Amino acid sequence: MVLVGAAVGVALALVAVLIPWLPPAESTEAVKIDDVYWFVTIICIVIFALVAGVSLYAVWKFRAAPDDTDDGAPIHGHTGLEVVWTAVPAALVTAITIYSGIVLNQIDTVPKDHRVVEVTAQQFAWSFHYPDSNVTSGVLALPIGQTTELKLQAKDVIHSFWVPEWRMKEDAVPGITTNVLVTPTKEGTFTVICTELCGLGHAVMRAQALVFSQADYEKWVADEKTKAAAAGSTAGKTLFTQQCGSCHRLADAGTEGEVGPDLDKVLVGKDAEFIHESIVNPNAEIASGYQPNVMPGTFGESLTDAQLESLVDYLVKTAGKS
Amino acid sequence: MAVGTRGHEHTEVAAPPPRGKWRRRLTTGGWIRAAWVTPLSFVLATLLVIGCRAWLDYHPLNEFQVLLTAWMIIVPLGFLVGIGGFDYWFYWASGRPTRPEDHSGHGARSWKDYFRVNTDHKVIGVQYLVTTIFFFVAAGMMAMFMRAELAKPGMQFVDNNTFNGLFSVHASLMIFLFVIPAFAGLGNYVIPLMIGAPDMAFPRLNALSFWLLPIAGLIMLASFLVPEGGAFAAGWTNYVPLSVQQPPGNLFFQMAVQWAGASSIMTALNFLVTIITMRAPGMSFWRMPLLVWANFATSTLVVLATPFIAGSQFFILLDRVLHTNFFEPGGDGYALGYQHIFWFYSHPAVYIMMLPGFGIASEVIAVFARKPVFGYRLMALSLMAILVLGFSVWAHHMFVSGMSPWLRIPMMATTMLIAIPTGIKVFSWLATLWEGRIHFKTPMLFALGFVSMFVIGGLSGVYLGSIPIDIHASDTYFIVAHIHYVLFGGSLFTIFAGIYYWFPKMTGRMYNERLGKIHFWLTFVGFNVTFFPMHWLGLQGMPRRVSDYADRFGNLNFIISVASFALGASTIIFLYNMIVSWRRGPIAPGNPWRALTLEWQVSSPPPIFNFDEIPQVVGSPYEYGVRGARHAVLNGDRAEVPEREQVVSH
Repeated sequence: MVLVGAAVGVALALVAVLIPWLPPAESTEAVKIDDVYWFVTIICIVIFALVAGVSLYAVWKFRAAPDDTDDGAPIHGHTGLEVVWTAVPAALVTAITIYSGIVLNQIDTVPKDHRVVEVTAQQFAWSFHYPDSNVTSGVLALPIGQTTELKLQAKDVIHSFWVPEWRMKEDAVPGITTNVLVTPTKEGTFTVICTELCGLGHAVMRAQALVFSQADYEKWVADEKTKAAAAGSTAGKTLFTQQCGSCHRLADAGTEGEVGPDLDKVLVGKDAEFIHESIVNPNAEIASGYQPNVMPGTFGESLTDAQLESLVDYLVKTAGKS
Repeated sequence: MAVGTRGHEHTEVAAPPPRGKWRRRLTTGGWIRAAWVTPLSFVLATLLVIGCRAWLDYHPLNEFQVLLTAWMIIVPLGFLVGIGGFDYWFYWASGRPTRPEDHSGHGARSWKDYFRVNTDHKVIGVQYLVTTIFFFVAAGMMAMFMRAELAKPGMQFVDNNTFNGLFSVHASLMIFLFVIPAFAGLGNYVIPLMIGAPDMAFPRLNALSFWLLPIAGLIMLASFLVPEGGAFAAGWTNYVPLSVQQPPGNLFFQMAVQWAGASSIMTALNFLVTIITMRAPGMSFWRMPLLVWANFATSTLVVLATPFIAGSQFFILLDRVLHTNFFEPGGDGYALGYQHIFWFYSHPAVYIMMLPGFGIASEVIAVFARKPVFGYRLMALSLMAILVLGFSVWAHHMFVSGMSPWLRIPMMATTMLIAIPTGIKVFSWLATLWEGRIHFKTPMLFALGFVSMFVIGGLSGVYLGSIPIDIHASDTYFIVAHIHYVLFGGSLFTIFAGIYYWFPKMTGRMYNERLGKIHFWLTFVGFNVTFFPMHWLGLQGMPRRVSDYADRFGNLNFIISVASFALGASTIIFLYNMIVSWRRGPIAPGNPWRALTLEWQVSSPPPIFNFDEIPQVVGSPYEYGVRGARHAVLNGDRAEVPEREQVVSH
């Protein structure tokens, strides 16, 4: 029985180690969370090996012939054993709870010196506002090695912010502000994933997260400021990429969303009035093959008149033209 | 008894004044009366809404959501009145003779008796099981559609709206129309027999609680037919504000939950009163079989918790139809308030879906290992511990929801504590196998499969209970894997174990053992290949409830889909075995498993009032291997041990 249990334990340990169960840990929080993960994994492997060892041995050793009408040994219980298998799991789960509590405290305590990014989620796009430089972008950009507090808000329904490599996740809830901390440790491009069912475009609600060195980060901020300052069609284009591109394909903006109709096809020959109406009141005319109530009807309120105008202007100029 | 029953039937027929044959048929409770009262109630509901709105000057008069709400309340009531679910109480209220000793609704003499309001707990148990298996197959088909869509990245078969509807209705049917009522059905059949009672405490309430069930299921299925927007598509959790903003199909979830919830509560009350007051002489609490303990704990959970989900869905209904603001942040509502109320039911619901399975596993493992259940008292007490702790952990579903941070650590501690009574149960089942003489009949295979799969589900639950890991894993496919290890590997495996175990008792015939074993192995392998890789998908970055996913997950999802089709196919073997064996299986003896509990000491199927004479219980139900030990004395003073029938094997 010990052999069976040990064999199962070794096999499980190999499965746990050889298969990369977790994506690479690219934040200080991720490293701490992974430590808890491995602590729990070791305990679970021991428990499962024990259970598998006993049950496999028992079903092999105590199997009865079909015509065997004898009964087993009339054992009703064993106080010592029952105490052990109450006390040992109690000790183990207490250890897990204490360790988890300590780690939670570490990854959850807002340090005095930290940056803030205001994250706004809406169906089906993310937008990131950087209060220290007053930049707003559809991309989350963070300098490496600095703790950033993401303050999450939602405009319409509940969304959830998650970057698997950072391990950190938190819901964005309409009506309240929630927060999550992250300290990225690797430069590169990551994906922000919405993990709370938020409607028909849930599966494609993604954003880019970029981690830069301090110098590159400052350059990115400067670029964003320049872009925002440039007037006219670029403002419409920026708005489009931020708020429309995750659902609509448009060659000029380079977006490839597939939830809603391809705007290069359905907007050919349409005037500004039609485009304006389609944004503010999406159910007014539904492109064939698409369903009503998919596109949020809230853009008329969430966009300012100037934003709407630049967006319509941009679409009139670009849709179906390239 | 049977003769006396027929006598009652004659008085019933003679009772109404002589009228035309057709007039009598039209006015007597049954399908014919339901066939005209149901459409009539539809017309009345429509007129009521339009009339009230015209009177109050609300426009448009035919507001669709208001109409739907009225229809889904009044039409089912009309159907229940038509089929005769309320007849006794109407008679009583209107001062007509109520026939207090009338058992004419008892028993099944032909298949037609399963299709009317019947007050026999054995008939109701079978009605429950057949109905729930129908909805199990329907919900399983939806899973097949989902796996077909998920076999490749990108969109192939269904659009996003249909996909979201499929997983929402799949989960809702599996939970509210399969797992919970299937256990209620098994309990309905077995519990009165196990405690030596002639029936449930409230047979008419029992009949009514069954008939609420198909109503709930048909409402859920019908949501796919809503012309505008289709089925409810906000998940079975139906979080606000998404659910409030959904098209009218979402109302079908709110109303179906009311009907299914009412059914659950009525049945649970019935179980509680039956178990507390109708145990045979000598059947003390410490002599009750563990399934009875489990149903006692489950019923307490149902009665205390189910009103919370009913309330949460009523609030959404009011927010949608009457434009109140319980949860809508735009009008000072609190979105997280919904989650607290919802999970205050829905976490205990996990135990509502698991404790009866624990009971079934204890019965089956003791019988087929030929040994007393190890640590019987601790097994019963751990059920009660889970019952109490189950109410103190709901917010572990909300660790990343943005709720008050201080609530997290206490909820983590209580969540972890639940591992202790659960562990006690698993270790005690294993110890029950030790030194036993194990017979691997199909029920035993499913019970052992349950223990091993439930351990995996329990351990992944420890991962999720730890908040740092949960921050990463929540709302991903890791959750999908976890709940299926608990509800499929746990609940469904024990439901299968229970169905095979009591099939001879219910039908009087044996199922085919070979097909049963093939069913088990196909299910066991298909289940693991389908759900185990989902742990990896989730940890690596695949969120749940998506119709499309990153290309790098394509290969594994394809394997999962293929395995899930094999898993689906295994159900065909099960259905074939059940149907063919029910009609043509070999005749079953009273006690094919040589079990000691009371239900096996009577004929298969049991007599109409279960026992010719109420048995006298004299000892524990699990005294296998103890020389001279008895659980009960049946049929008066006959002292000899009942003859042990030979094991029936094929």
